[in-house]
Amino acid sequence: MSDVLLGLKNLKVIFPAQQGIVRAVEGIDIDILKGECVALVGESGCGKSVTSLAIMRLLNTPPALIEVESINLGGDEITKYSENKMQDVRGKQISMIFQDAMTALNPVMTVGKQIDEVFIKHNKLSKKEARIETIKALRLVGIPEPESRAKAFPHQLSGGLRQRVLIAMAFACMPKLIIADEPTTALDVTIQAQVLEVLRNMQKSHNVSLLLITHDLSVVAHTADTVYVMYSGKIVEKAKVEDLFREPHHPYTEGLLGSIPRLSDTTKHFVQIPDSVPHPMFKPTGCYFHPRCKYATDICKEKMPPLVRLDNGREIRCYHPINFSGGENNE
Amino acid sequence: MSKNPIIKIENLYVDFPVKGGLPFQKKKHISAVSDVSLEIYPGETFGIVGESGCGKSTLANAMVGMVKPTGGKVIFKDKDLFSLNRTDFKKTRSDMQMIFQDPFSSLNPRFSVFQLISEPMFIRGGFTKKEMEQRVLELLKLVGLDEKDLHRYPSDFSGGQKQRIGIARAISLNPDLLICDEPVSALDVSVHAQILNLLIDLQEHLKLTYVFISHNLAVVKNVCDRILVMYLGKVMEFGSTKAIYKNPLHPYTNALISAILDLDIKREKTILKGDIPSPIDPPKGCRFWQRCPYAMEGCIDIPAPLLEVEENHFVACHKLSGFNEEQIKNGLDKRINKDE
Repeated sequence: MSDVLLGLKNLKVIFPAQQGIVRAVEGIDIDILKGECVALVGESGCGKSVTSLAIMRLLNTPPALIEVESINLGGDEITKYSENKMQDVRGKQISMIFQDAMTALNPVMTVGKQIDEVFIKHNKLSKKEARIETIKALRLVGIPEPESRAKAFPHQLSGGLRQRVLIAMAFACMPKLIIADEPTTALDVTIQAQVLEVLRNMQKSHNVSLLLITHDLSVVAHTADTVYVMYSGKIVEKAKVEDLFREPHHPYTEGLLGSIPRLSDTTKHFVQIPDSVPHPMFKPTGCYFHPRCKYATDICKEKMPPLVRLDNGREIRCYHPINFSGGENNE
Repeated sequence: MSKNPIIKIENLYVDFPVKGGLPFQKKKHISAVSDVSLEIYPGETFGIVGESGCGKSTLANAMVGMVKPTGGKVIFKDKDLFSLNRTDFKKTRSDMQMIFQDPFSSLNPRFSVFQLISEPMFIRGGFTKKEMEQRVLELLKLVGLDEKDLHRYPSDFSGGQKQRIGIARAISLNPDLLICDEPVSALDVSVHAQILNLLIDLQEHLKLTYVFISHNLAVVKNVCDRILVMYLGKVMEFGSTKAIYKNPLHPYTNALISAILDLDIKREKTILKGDIPSPIDPPKGCRFWQRCPYAMEGCIDIPAPLLEVEENHFVACHKLSGFNEEQIKNGLDKRINKDE
């Protein structure tokens, strides 16, 4: 398992505010292998988007304060890169697909021109050559009539097409890693199925690594290989996707899985996790999940459980893991 | 069911004129809802499903009189909503309320929770301040919020809590009919369950009738008694939830159900190609034919009639209704090959 493409070690992001400090991300490690699709799952406000922006170095500092041990991209330490060099990395080696395609695209530029820019900047192509590449890229993501669609403005395209344009743009220079931040949240179910298929096919056929950020576990089940579950700025569970869905160890993961409506449900009521995510400025003591956890005991209120690595490569942060045969985890 | 319907819609059409165009050109229209008839009975949950742009929100808006239909009638409790005078209209409308999709934009950020929830009572009049305050506290408890929240502002709340405020506001006047326009789609998946459970409990408790609009068929299946599947303003399939999920007959319903990302089973998927076409000048025949995997020549020009295939299950598709002899002679039942 030495084919680690992106190694993120001990990332911390805090936002100082007037009333206190918001600890958005509290020391997380993520490893992404070559050609792997890693999903980062959590509710809104758990720090998953901040993590992705921190990797891309797109967070404004100030206000954000970032502390990180290392971000290793294919053997290079990108934390030491200058801002200029980082600009070459973005788009060429790591690129990003944003959640809302309408706001991510420039409304006064044709979509073709926006993709051309990527080729002109990174591959030093002329305008004409760039347009040929753009049309190829658009065709690759399954946009019909790419020649005429390249001349369209974002508002002339439907939501699904816009998202495909963003995917085409992200894959333009065939980067090593693509970060997709909630790529299908704004879309209809039928279009979501289309877009996910495109994304998955592109990723597999070009052997690109994908970091998929989402709050929807059903999306994860169909696309990811490895899953990191995040809660309130900490990783609470890491597992292969089949293992996670077959037997979740962390109570939070169990709750997330239970709250998804399924076609096979027969009862009218839905399983729910009580309450909501703690405010990032006023996190509870001990395990952050204990106020919502039905298995919580006294130790959970006092001490944050450590992230324990199991034999099968899974990681879990809980004193009372469920579906767990290896005995309870007491330090 | 022999009960009287609480709301009855007869051949409803809603068209919107398109702005712009040349001066003497024929004005174009968006046909948002076209020839929809339905009856909703007290105490049931009626689901409307379809992709965005299919007219489900417009239909709901027409039900509460927020959009004036171009044709057809909306009859609420034996009163034709659009022939009432202004005062009667206002009075009638307090019996039907709406929960909106996006709690972030449907709550005025400058109103406190008390102002927000008491506004319907304030507009209707006839309540003293004390009565209003008591009622608001009662409502807060009902939707699972705290008394202390009374004088806080929407920005202090999370998405799920905001939606609870929206629900409290909607039920403040004891309505009979509650229209939920995608009540959970703007929220986190983990909060979905909380809000849906709240809605189900409220329905039992307050004897409400729901019109539930959603594009998530997994949610609809568990919540609704009957559903209506819409596409480009037309009814595609209509019937009891059980019948439709057991035996989805329209190709569009099939595609919608197979598009659900389910954790349990790996099913064979029919992924629809393309997007929903523009509702300006929609296809003359079946509105779905361009994306339909089974489209036949006749589907292009002849609209499919809504056919009752079994009790409480209506489908509009040529695959089931077929063509008459003369049409078959003209080759209208030939499959269109779209793979070239």
